[in-house]
Amino acid sequence: MRIQRFLRRLFGPNRWVPLAARPDAKAALYLQYLAFKDLISSNDEILQVIADMEQVLDGTTTFGMAFIRSRCVTAASHTYRMIQTLNTLSDRRYSELFLRFADIRRSVENILDRARPKLKGPLVLPLGSLSLAQLDLVGGKSANLGEMKSRAGLPVPEGFAVTTDACLELLEANQLGDEIRARLLGLDANDMESASAVSQSIRSLILGAALPPRIGGSLREGFSALESILGRPLRVAVRSSAVGEDGDLSFAGQYVSVLNVTEDALASAYKEVIAGLYTPTAIRYRAIRGIPDEDTPMGVACLAMVEAVASGVACSVDPNHPEAGRMVINGSWGLGLATVEGSVSPDSWTVRKGDDLAFLSLTLGSKETSAEPMAHGGIDTVPVPPRLRKSYCLTGDQARELARLILEVERHYGVPQEVEWALGRDGRFMLLQARPLHLCALGGGQEPAPAQVDGHRLLIEGASACAGFASGPAVLSLSPEDVHDFPLGGVLVARHSHPRYVQVMDRAAAIVTDVGAPTGHMASLSREFGIPAVLDTHGATSTIATGDIVTVDGSRGAVYEGRVDSLLGAKNTAVPRRMAGTPVFGILEEVSRHVVALTLTDPKSAEFRASSCKSFHDIARFVHEKAFEEMFRLSDTVSYGQMRSLPLRARLPFTVHVIDLGGGLLPEAGAREIGIEDVTSVPLKALLAGMTDPALNWWTPRALSVKGFASVTAQALFTPVVEHGERSLGDRSYAIAADAYCNFSSRIGYHFAAVDAYCADSMGGNYISFRFKGGAADEARRVNRCLLIGRVLNRVDFQVECHRDLVNARLRKFGREPTLERLALLGRLIVATRQLDMRLHDTAAVDWFVDAFFKGNYMFDPDFDPASVHEEA
Amino acid sequence: MARPIRLLIVDDEKRFVETLSKRLSARGIYVEGAHSGMDAVALVQARPFDVALLDVRMPGMDGLATLREIRKYQPLLQVIMLSGTASINAAVEGMRLGAVEYLLKPASLDDVLPKIEEAARRKLLMEEQQGPGRPTGI
Repeated sequence: MRIQRFLRRLFGPNRWVPLAARPDAKAALYLQYLAFKDLISSNDEILQVIADMEQVLDGTTTFGMAFIRSRCVTAASHTYRMIQTLNTLSDRRYSELFLRFADIRRSVENILDRARPKLKGPLVLPLGSLSLAQLDLVGGKSANLGEMKSRAGLPVPEGFAVTTDACLELLEANQLGDEIRARLLGLDANDMESASAVSQSIRSLILGAALPPRIGGSLREGFSALESILGRPLRVAVRSSAVGEDGDLSFAGQYVSVLNVTEDALASAYKEVIAGLYTPTAIRYRAIRGIPDEDTPMGVACLAMVEAVASGVACSVDPNHPEAGRMVINGSWGLGLATVEGSVSPDSWTVRKGDDLAFLSLTLGSKETSAEPMAHGGIDTVPVPPRLRKSYCLTGDQARELARLILEVERHYGVPQEVEWALGRDGRFMLLQARPLHLCALGGGQEPAPAQVDGHRLLIEGASACAGFASGPAVLSLSPEDVHDFPLGGVLVARHSHPRYVQVMDRAAAIVTDVGAPTGHMASLSREFGIPAVLDTHGATSTIATGDIVTVDGSRGAVYEGRVDSLLGAKNTAVPRRMAGTPVFGILEEVSRHVVALTLTDPKSAEFRASSCKSFHDIARFVHEKAFEEMFRLSDTVSYGQMRSLPLRARLPFTVHVIDLGGGLLPEAGAREIGIEDVTSVPLKALLAGMTDPALNWWTPRALSVKGFASVTAQALFTPVVEHGERSLGDRSYAIAADAYCNFSSRIGYHFAAVDAYCADSMGGNYISFRFKGGAADEARRVNRCLLIGRVLNRVDFQVECHRDLVNARLRKFGREPTLERLALLGRLIVATRQLDMRLHDTAAVDWFVDAFFKGNYMFDPDFDPASVHEEA
Repeated sequence: MARPIRLLIVDDEKRFVETLSKRLSARGIYVEGAHSGMDAVALVQARPFDVALLDVRMPGMDGLATLREIRKYQPLLQVIMLSGTASINAAVEGMRLGAVEYLLKPASLDDVLPKIEEAARRKLLMEEQQGPGRPTGI
């Protein structure tokens, strides 16, 4: 018979212990109750994943692949568990769901797998053999250098590229891929300290990995070949060349370069550059820009060192005044580190892009320090002699010669370029890097900043690095290490510009520095992120204090006291959707079609069947519905008198059917229907008492605003809504009850409300779990209803989480009476807020509704007399 | 007399087992640790547990093989997979073999503790047919 089959399924070889089994009806009820609870709890987990994904699908929150992977794993495992449980309850009548699940799971896995790179070929290639065509194989920097050398005939040092395959081989040989992905799961994309911890753990993994002999051999061969070309003992610069670097996304200064490397130190320098994929700022940069970690395998460029007298960065177009027909060259003594990192004020030439290459302006930088190669390898920072500080690092002729080279680079690529250069001891220029120049979205003003704007004092001026206006509280920083708690909308006021400040670029409203060049890495990043920036102010950190409200005019390079509304004008203050359009966002959108999308909404439709399920959400929805049917079916077929399904006769705005698992109803209760007086389940009785409280008066029509009614009606065209009538024919709410337990569930269209509660004399096991999702109105009103529900429950000790239109509330370990009081309140709340969507168009009014509820004004009547009822406890 | 939840933590990372044991013991849970699948099977053969926290990637007998083995000896034991591997395959296989959860590392105590308590409650409900003592704290 059916119940015995059910028991056999539950106690089969992979199931529960035969010792515990007493194959009688009571045991069956228990097991059914447990299976049902499993199903409900898995359904909750899936709804949580859906809410998480929906929340980040608005594009304003930063997240990474780890977020997507972990949510997919949770959704898949709990969807599978729901299918398993339903089949256990139903004598495997829904085995087709396993097939649908397998299809959907495969689609999700394929999308996630696509992000992983595959091995392709050689490990080392000479720079002269490369062009942009090999970008995927050698990364951005090597491909660009190869392009300039082989195709444009520009002066580029000799060198070789180590391919991205070598990186993959290093990781695979040490089985690091899965381990790194596992550690990345610990990354909170919005938390900078978490990025530091994850970074340290992954980098030490890579640095400790053994270099496979094939890679070690290729590095040595590349080095020897280079030495034979140059005919002298050789030092190389080992530089990052990640896929995606130096393209549309600059990754400026995010990765690692090791300079002046000897042959002996080459292998460890190589690993250091690979480990640089996981510097905290590189992790943050990828997170903020939505780049999957798998999409940026690291190539490495090994270039013969240029013994540089001077070096720097040039922009083929003035980034703040693209229309002005001029370029900007910055430079200082020694190797180029100081200029690109922004640690010195460089010399600067503004050059007209005509035949004469006339200097439009010259600025002598302070150039306090320079980076110099040491005899045994490595770099040292040394003070620049006072005499040299006062002279330009290039002569006029040299600056013009460099300007001509920069123009050639721009001509070759056809778009404005940002170029790193070095002047060798032999007097020849070498180009060390080229990438597309990010230009400011807003055109800059030409005129000098006035001393006051609308009565706001001019605090300080500097070099404009990115045009635009922004205002906010100043946050002083002495180094990139001290910005872990940088507030959203703060204005970064730093001593030096540094590319590691990228970590706050999804939060900062503007950037101001004492020292730094508009051609440096950080300036480039500020333009990439569109953050107004004023650099080289010589004193912002001593003029401005943390907490001061300032307004930054990035166009004129000025910072004003207070908030200057006339400058900010109609500036859009909405939170930017930075993630939208990024590769990671694209993957989430694709995956969410198989996880989040809900197509099965109407259980009465012919399409509501296993074969129609297209997503994990569809399966969960279908299984949830069928689980209740199975509970009814089983209860109908059991004749032990211990389990019954009966309609409840009560004044409620929905029909409730009660399934008694044992001890939930009086044994002598009616055979066709029951009344509340027949309910003996302690928690259900309390919930129903709340739902039928006469003060709710739900049967009286309420005032609706026309706007509200129109909105709900419009939504109803798409969503079958049946909660407006006094009785919702055909749709049932279910209550499953035992003496100390109840599960109440109501699910109509998109709307879902569920109470799961246990209440006995000892408080240890007592709990109430409440979940509400959806509703009939537009999103704003649904969100407001959830806010209202959340705030009410929070006030009576529930732990509440609200995610858009989902409320999760839990209460645990309260005594019997306090638990029952809260169940009654929950009953009143469910009924009282049932139609409220229509009136909740204003978030500011939510607190009024909360107060009204606690005053017993369940009709939310503005003319309510509080003296007429007692207040909620 | 009430008894505490009996928890078995199985993970080859010894420091992880130590730290988590210490923190869960402080919450009144009786914890034993195993650093390999084989050790876990031996412990499960020796005495009863309510809940096991089981790592997936371990040298030798991996988490899924361990799950299969330990459920032979204690079919009522509630197994929560706690893994650093975001693998749909491992998660679904774990559920197929009877695990109640597949949690991802790193998980905070606030994430793990309610799951342990929930699993222990589930175990208790199953055991109620036999009538053993009731765990506290759940």
